[in-house]
Amino acid sequence: MKTLLDALRSRATWRWLGTGALLLMLSPCADAAMLQEAVDLPNRWGPNPSASDYGWRYDELFTLITILISVSFAIMLILLVLPMIRDRARAGHKASFDHGSSLFDKRFTATVSVIVFIVLDAWVLVIAVRDLREGYWNIPTELEGAYRVEVLAQQWSWNFRATGLDGEFGTADDVITINDLTVPQDRPVVFNLTSKDVIHSLYVPDMRMKRDANPGAVNQAWFQPITAGDFAILCAELCGFAHYQMGAQLHVLSPEDFGAWEQDASMIAVAGFDPEDTEAQWAWDWKE
Amino acid sequence: MTIASIHAPVEDTRDRTNAALGMAIFIGSWAMAFAVLFISFLILRQRQAVWPPVGVTLPSLPLAVAATLTLLGSSFALHRSVSALRRGAPFTSWWTAGLVGGLVFAVLQTWLWADLWAAGTTTFTGGTYESLFYGLTWFHGLHVLCGLGALFLARIGAATGRYGHQRRAFVVNAAVFWHFVDVVWIVLFICFFVP
Amino acid sequence: MSHDGIHPEPTSFWRKHVFSVDHKVIAKQFLWFGLVWLLIGGMMAMMIRWQLANPGEPFPVLGALLFPSTGGVIQPDTYNVLFTMHGTIMIFLGLTPVLIGCFGNYCIPMLIGARDMIVPLLNMLSFWTLMLGGAVGFYSLLVPLGASEAGWTGYPTLSTTVGAPGSGETLWALAVFLIGASSIMGGINYITTIVRLRAPGMTWSRLPLTIWGMFFTAILNVLFLPVIGSAMILLVLDRAFGTQFYVPATMIDGGGGDPILYQHLFWIFGHPEVYILILPAWGFISDFLSFFARKPAFGYRVTVGAMLAVTVLSAVVYGHHMFTTGLSPMLGESFMLLTMIISVPGEILFFNWLHTIWRGSLRLTTPMLFSLGTVFVFGLGGLTGLYLATISTDIFLHDTYFVVGHFHLTMAASSLFGAFAAIYFWMPKMFGRMLDERLGKLHFWATFIPLTIVFCVMFWSGYAGMPRRYYDHTYLEYLRDLQHLNVLTSAAAFLLGAAQLIFAFNFIRSRWWGAKAPTNPWEVGTLDMAVPSPVPYYNFETIPTVVTGPHEFSNPAIPDGKDWIFQTEPLADRAAAPTDPSAQPAASH
Ligand SMILES: [Cu+2]
Ligand SMILES: [Cu+2]
Repeated sequence: MKTLLDALRSRATWRWLGTGALLLMLSPCADAAMLQEAVDLPNRWGPNPSASDYGWRYDELFTLITILISVSFAIMLILLVLPMIRDRARAGHKASFDHGSSLFDKRFTATVSVIVFIVLDAWVLVIAVRDLREGYWNIPTELEGAYRVEVLAQQWSWNFRATGLDGEFGTADDVITINDLTVPQDRPVVFNLTSKDVIHSLYVPDMRMKRDANPGAVNQAWFQPITAGDFAILCAELCGFAHYQMGAQLHVLSPEDFGAWEQDASMIAVAGFDPEDTEAQWAWDWKE
Repeated sequence: MTIASIHAPVEDTRDRTNAALGMAIFIGSWAMAFAVLFISFLILRQRQAVWPPVGVTLPSLPLAVAATLTLLGSSFALHRSVSALRRGAPFTSWWTAGLVGGLVFAVLQTWLWADLWAAGTTTFTGGTYESLFYGLTWFHGLHVLCGLGALFLARIGAATGRYGHQRRAFVVNAAVFWHFVDVVWIVLFICFFVP
Repeated sequence: MSHDGIHPEPTSFWRKHVFSVDHKVIAKQFLWFGLVWLLIGGMMAMMIRWQLANPGEPFPVLGALLFPSTGGVIQPDTYNVLFTMHGTIMIFLGLTPVLIGCFGNYCIPMLIGARDMIVPLLNMLSFWTLMLGGAVGFYSLLVPLGASEAGWTGYPTLSTTVGAPGSGETLWALAVFLIGASSIMGGINYITTIVRLRAPGMTWSRLPLTIWGMFFTAILNVLFLPVIGSAMILLVLDRAFGTQFYVPATMIDGGGGDPILYQHLFWIFGHPEVYILILPAWGFISDFLSFFARKPAFGYRVTVGAMLAVTVLSAVVYGHHMFTTGLSPMLGESFMLLTMIISVPGEILFFNWLHTIWRGSLRLTTPMLFSLGTVFVFGLGGLTGLYLATISTDIFLHDTYFVVGHFHLTMAASSLFGAFAAIYFWMPKMFGRMLDERLGKLHFWATFIPLTIVFCVMFWSGYAGMPRRYYDHTYLEYLRDLQHLNVLTSAAAFLLGAAQLIFAFNFIRSRWWGAKAPTNPWEVGTLDMAVPSPVPYYNFETIPTVVTGPHEFSNPAIPDGKDWIFQTEPLADRAAAPTDPSAQPAASH
């Protein structure tokens, strides 16, 4: 504290603070338009509420971890700042002498680390494994009523393919869309993902889902929408210069609306089917 | 070596241990680089339905066997040379034999590449087999070149009297490096020529 | 004996300052090299933050010079080059040379009592290989078909000719290979030197913890830099010779190369690389906290054991970078468990640090402030790692700004703070001049506060779902309402950048016009503090004999009422030197 006060009292400090402030004004953050714009635009401070069946798992575990690490960090901060104030060097103050190498010290350290491991890590690990097995990795099959979508990513768009009414991929009534995906509410939506060129990653933040689309292999992922509405799809893996533009729309329709939509879409697909167009024949055998 | 001993004409046991330790760490380190290549080999090979792939002209087995035997012989000669050097006996003829063996290996290896390339199996045909074969043997070939350089320098040094029984750390390390190159080649041989 | 002689100092300019084999000169070369690259990489960060706060507006002043064709506006491909090279430069050309190149070279011989590295020539070669790597990296920025823009991770197939046709990416891979080769040379030298050239009496348990940190870093360097070297060789072959290591034959069913193979290789190197950068910093601050708390380092052996555990485990946790790529559930769960296990040695280091300063007598000098700052930022970064080690939370946060905030705190900020602590601490011995303490403290606070804001707000934008490596987050509607977070991050980042000018000024001024350094400016007992400042050419007139540990602060057995003792001086009554704290008179409060 004293050194800080001394520093604040000296001319040199103020000269340098002044210069610093000047640099600051020259530096880009003094751009008034930028700040104004940031205030004017609508602001969001977190993710949108979860719209998928298993999204609560993420939300709850995130909250739990936040509480655990906040407490740990607070304890650490106290142990860090308290000596800085209480044990600061001053006349007549002596440091205690302790190598911390006694058996007691070692046992103490071991005990605390075991406790920290159990409270911080093991607890979270157990919940995470449960969530993964019950949720993320428990991919429903076709027999369990899954709505299946094949995703072919490319620089820089998302190609989606659904079976249409016949339930078969690679037929004339396949519903093929670009950057636009329509799925039913309250039914698991399962994806087969791959890529034509570079690695992309299908990111549906409101469903709490992300999975890479790797060229040369097919990846699986799923979620079950519980709310009807429009949601964002983003690309989360750097894929070249228009990476940031690689968004798509996700429409979740109520079961009735979806039935009608699928009927229409299938009919349009059959009508527009062109067997000569090999570019559009990219379906593959579904991989469970 | 400390500052003083950089140019020391005579080395002592301490210097030799230093040199051996440094070389051991280097070999351990560089073995990781080759380990990565062999892991890549296993992973990429397992992605292929048939191995070796059909329709690819394979490298000549007799040439490869000849190259392997030459390299083993060369390593053996260097080993004899180094034990002679340690005893203080004449070591240069075994060393020269090892060096010549290394050169013959390099020639056979080049022949192997040229033969295969001429038969139409090149890196630009883009198959996994070609990629692995050329990629791994080229990388190994660079080490053969470095190794030959070291063997040659050691031989020159022996001729000028720079290296001998009293000063031999460099010579020993050159031989150790060559044994390393030899071992890597044997793994390569197993990868590509043993079904 | 050939080991004791002292050669005359070289007199020609070239031998003395450029192609010197003296470890102290090479250390300074590494330092200047690293600082210049930190400046360049830092400027790139400023441009990145400018673009995110003001998408599509010309970068002030410098923009017009660097991108005249667009009037100073950063284009998407330029933006990708910027973050790619920012990462590559900061890690390989900035932090590595300063932390390992400079302080490894300076500290190892000085603190173990040797006259130089074991192979001084290899040491020089290591620097010049790095120089060549830096030159190739810099040249890759200038090639006509475009510099590397596949991220510092360089994932294929974006980094193969499928996604990057220009020669910049090839040059980038070659640069990384050369830099790796330089680190391997250094590593071999460091390990052999520490094992073989310790002064008489410098037992393994009397080594300063700085040396332990360097030792483990060197081990990781020699083991894992070859891995990235090979991965880069395969990338170069794919790019230049048409091979198919990383390019699959068909898009669906196996066959051909495997882009995921690269990810495995990259992260087998990449995770240990985090420790390569952080272990030297851990070593520094483990020493500095003891030095400036005037208390022995708490649990010396346990600290060394924890560092060893981290080193051993470092390569088996790498899968946590690949949770969304399609690892099998079994592998995923194993990597999650291993990642959590590796956090335990980290926690132990924290106990020991916090225990070291507890009831000490803290001298809040600049190196001490930066050491305490390291504990703070590493704590913040380490704890937030829990979200990313846990697969079910990582699925959402992977490749968002949350990750960017996390690894900047753990890997960048902690090691940068460690580097600053070391610079402030050893500057007097290296250059014979003191850095200005007042400016130093100003520099600390002006760095610490904005830095914390920058990365904490990044956590926030990642939590809100903002992916990293986006040129313009206002393009997609979903991210348009995150502008306020980005503006806040950028504003703090500019302050952080401006604060480094204080350091630049302080460093340059003190280097030539600063106060002359006393022999032992910090009153500590390591071997380097017993020789004059700056350290003479031959380091030690006679090789010292060590009789005491490096951390005997406030030991009642120290004669003359001092609270420190040189490692070459014996404690008054070694047999009676009490180690039990309860035997001590209570500290006066
Ligand atoms: Cu993409
Ligand atoms: Cu990691």
